[in-house]
Amino acid sequence: MLEARGVRKVFRTFERVPGLRGILKNFVAREHVDIAALDGVDLRVERGESVGLIGANGAGKTTLVKILAGIVPASSGEARLLGRDSFDLRDAEKRRLALVMGQKSQLWWDLPPIDSFRLLKEIYGVSDADFAERLARFASMLDVEDRLKIQLRQLSLGQRMKMEIIGAFLHSPEVVFLDEPTIGLDLISRETIRRFLVGLSRQRSVTFVLTSHDLEDIEETCRRIVVLDQGAVAFDGGLTDLSQRVTGKRAVEVHVHPNARIDEESLVAELSLHGAELAGRSAGALTVIVSAERLAELVPRLFSLLEVKDLSVERQPLERLIREIYRRGIKAAEGGER
Amino acid sequence: MTSAALRAPALLLRAVAYEFRKRIQFRAGFFVREVLNGTVEPLVMLFVYTALYGSAAAIAGPGAGPGAGPGAGPGAGSEVGSDPGSDPGAAAVALGGWTYPEIIQYVAGLVVVRKLIFHSRALDLATEIFEGRVTKYLVMPFRFFVLHQGRFLQFTLMQVVVAGLVWLIGYAVAPDHWLVPVSAAATLQAGTLVLMGSYCCFLIFFTLNAMAFWLDVVWSLLVMAWFVIGFTGGALVPVSQMPAAFYGVLSFGFPYWMITAPIELLMGRLGTEDFLFGAALVAVQLVALEVLRRWVWRRGLARYVGAGM
Ligand SMILES: Nc1ncnc2c1ncn2[C@@H]1O[C@H](COP(=O)(O)OP(=O)(O)OP(=O)(O)O)[C@@H](O)[C@H]1O
Ligand SMILES: [Mg+2]
Repeated sequence: MLEARGVRKVFRTFERVPGLRGILKNFVAREHVDIAALDGVDLRVERGESVGLIGANGAGKTTLVKILAGIVPASSGEARLLGRDSFDLRDAEKRRLALVMGQKSQLWWDLPPIDSFRLLKEIYGVSDADFAERLARFASMLDVEDRLKIQLRQLSLGQRMKMEIIGAFLHSPEVVFLDEPTIGLDLISRETIRRFLVGLSRQRSVTFVLTSHDLEDIEETCRRIVVLDQGAVAFDGGLTDLSQRVTGKRAVEVHVHPNARIDEESLVAELSLHGAELAGRSAGALTVIVSAERLAELVPRLFSLLEVKDLSVERQPLERLIREIYRRGIKAAEGGER
Repeated sequence: MTSAALRAPALLLRAVAYEFRKRIQFRAGFFVREVLNGTVEPLVMLFVYTALYGSAAAIAGPGAGPGAGPGAGPGAGSEVGSDPGSDPGAAAVALGGWTYPEIIQYVAGLVVVRKLIFHSRALDLATEIFEGRVTKYLVMPFRFFVLHQGRFLQFTLMQVVVAGLVWLIGYAVAPDHWLVPVSAAATLQAGTLVLMGSYCCFLIFFTLNAMAFWLDVVWSLLVMAWFVIGFTGGALVPVSQMPAAFYGVLSFGFPYWMITAPIELLMGRLGTEDFLFGAALVAVQLVALEVLRRWVWRRGLARYVGAGM
């Protein structure tokens, strides 16, 4: 369905030296810096898969999406989509493709969504019946039926995003790229959009590539996760693989008096007796990670070790592992788990 | 196959409707921009030419001086101005093959013709490239250029109406000095040439806008291009009034066939044969410009970064 082989992307930027002398210098000899946004990415996505693409800011997620969708060419390596070179797609393939960008509108800014949709209908050659049916269904699923005739620029961020998603699905695409489709949205809108995506991927075997900084988005909509780190794939596997590594772990947050003196060394030693570790420490709080089975023996011990003001226990979220992966790579992150 | 072929025109029409709607959104601005715009330069030309012909007449001798009534000028000239009071009386003097009344008609023709010529302000492609707004079109199954052709078509349809309006206003105000086409055929021929030239301008502006893939600032290029096209076409001085060497060279360029030549056709100074020659010449240039546009666009896309995503 889509494939990247050794994809590299180098952006060349020119440094602008500030000031008057800078202007002169820029004019005479511009100095450029090459930024390797992607550094040899290999990825293969089969039909019907839903892939969550995550990574820290600047990891190269958007760049990978742009290359796979054929918006920009790769500097080297090969990107293929629907059996063709991504940067050389014909109309036949483009008709099966959709792109949703959280940061950038796909619809026409100065038209009401309904007019944009009609334009898209024409562009993609959607039949009248299909158009009417899909529009009605999607609008009601996303709860924006009463906003279709308002100029796009006058809609709220969330309403606009929903319109973008409707626009992307009107032609019933087979491959959909979504780059941060839930950025800046409230909980309810995010929930609605996720449900919409999950519904569609179940009904028809749509292939999704979704990027988001909201792990819940990924957990709920994608079965497979690809973690990009500094332009390279740091993890690629099933969501269950990843979450098995963290389920069964609990994060205990212990609030103490900000001025309390704590002997960290002996605390760590004490914790390790219970198979627990100190995962974070701030002035007034400590975070301790422990396996679920040993929680009961650890908690009373914490009360005797520390002057506990408050204490809460949570399932360790996927987030922590991901953060570790961003920071240290998958191997080290797993090491830290034990 | 056929449905695809049918869709292209349908899409073009949609694009036209969309562009139309966008343009009439700001009604007051529309009037100022489309009707009043481009009236200053001709006025300046009028003053300059009046002074020029006036002093030329003074040098030529008292016979051609102010106050010479209709028919009173000595033989050198052709027709004679009808307004003895305000006319500098230079009707008889011909500068570079143009008499004063002819020049007045030329300026009148210029006011109308300029309305029809596609100008760079009607394209904002460079900003679309900078801001990454092109991205959305790149994933759609259609040629991005069609949308811009729609813009050209819409511009032309609208400007034909505006030009007609301007012609009527001018005719109502100064029927004696205004340019009245010698025949319907001449009007048609002139119109064809202007629109072909206008499409060439459109291609050039599109190509220059596409330079935004490489350059930070393209508006200076656009301004320059417009100045060059205008000057070499006769927007300031009729090309046929320029020194022979200039005229010889410029008469092969589409700008000449877009401005000076159509007006001369309307005045009856050029005929059908000239039209046919010019149309063929412009057609060749139009094709060449289209090839260039495609090439630049393709090269540019390879440098696109899809900013702001
Ligand atoms: N047009 C460009 N010119 C120069 N550098 C660029 C350009 N676009 C991206 N980059 C660089 O490439 C790297 C990857 O950017 P990219 O937008 O792919 O990151 P991302 O993973 O989508 O990040 P975010 O989570 O912030 O959206 C960054 O270091 C960025 O500065
Ligand atoms: Mg991004």
